[in-house]
Amino acid sequence: MIWRIALFAWIAAAMTVGLLKAPLVPVLEETTRVIYFHIPSAWVTVVALGWSMLHSVLYLWKRDLRNDDHAAAAAELGLLFCIAATVTGALWAKAMWGAYWNWDPRETSIFFILLLYSAYLALRGSIEGDEKRARLSAIYSVVAFVAVPFLVFVVPRMYDTLHPDPLINKRGKIDMDPLMVECFVAMLAGFTVLFFWLQTLRVRVTRIERRQQLARG
Amino acid sequence: MDRNWVVLGVSLLVWGLLFSWILRVEKRVNELEKK
Repeated sequence: MIWRIALFAWIAAAMTVGLLKAPLVPVLEETTRVIYFHIPSAWVTVVALGWSMLHSVLYLWKRDLRNDDHAAAAAELGLLFCIAATVTGALWAKAMWGAYWNWDPRETSIFFILLLYSAYLALRGSIEGDEKRARLSAIYSVVAFVAVPFLVFVVPRMYDTLHPDPLINKRGKIDMDPLMVECFVAMLAGFTVLFFWLQTLRVRVTRIERRQQLARG
Repeated sequence: MDRNWVVLGVSLLVWGLLFSWILRVEKRVNELEKK
């Protein structure tokens, strides 16, 4: 229980310092605050989808359904955090650009990720039989993840975009106030721990569901 | 009232509600695993 309370306090403290004490970025002004939620959500999306791909590879190697449970749970959570990143990004775009959606390269990239992993969940839902579902989903997950680093890290740097520079900009530097960096890194760490907690819970729920299905026959 | 305090209050409220919901889910999962 102690680490859970510590996680709660950690994120609450990072939020408090980030929202009350950390300086604002010129031009972005009050909308600066969104980075403490938007980028950690996008970061966890990549971590979750990578975790899903890793367990898909492990499933294809070992044929152990426990790996499939992890892959499916991580893809669901990755999609959830991707939606959070999209919503916070759209709110920011409304404040800065005057419209929620502008088909900016970053918005288009995240839209493709949403489509890719919605299709993954639709695929899982459409296949009968644990083994067949796990095998086909694992192949899909591995192929889908090939596109993720390209969509997240490459496409937005290839085209002109209105989106602010990535954290590590084109000159390879972090142009951010040190207090902002501390809050931001604290939120990244907090969100990552939150993801692994949710991941563990989702996998446990899947196993309970399977046990209940087996009991019903 | 300073808008930053309002944003902080809403953020902490949402985080607190989410956290307590996850704890409830975990408690329920523990119960189901023991059955």
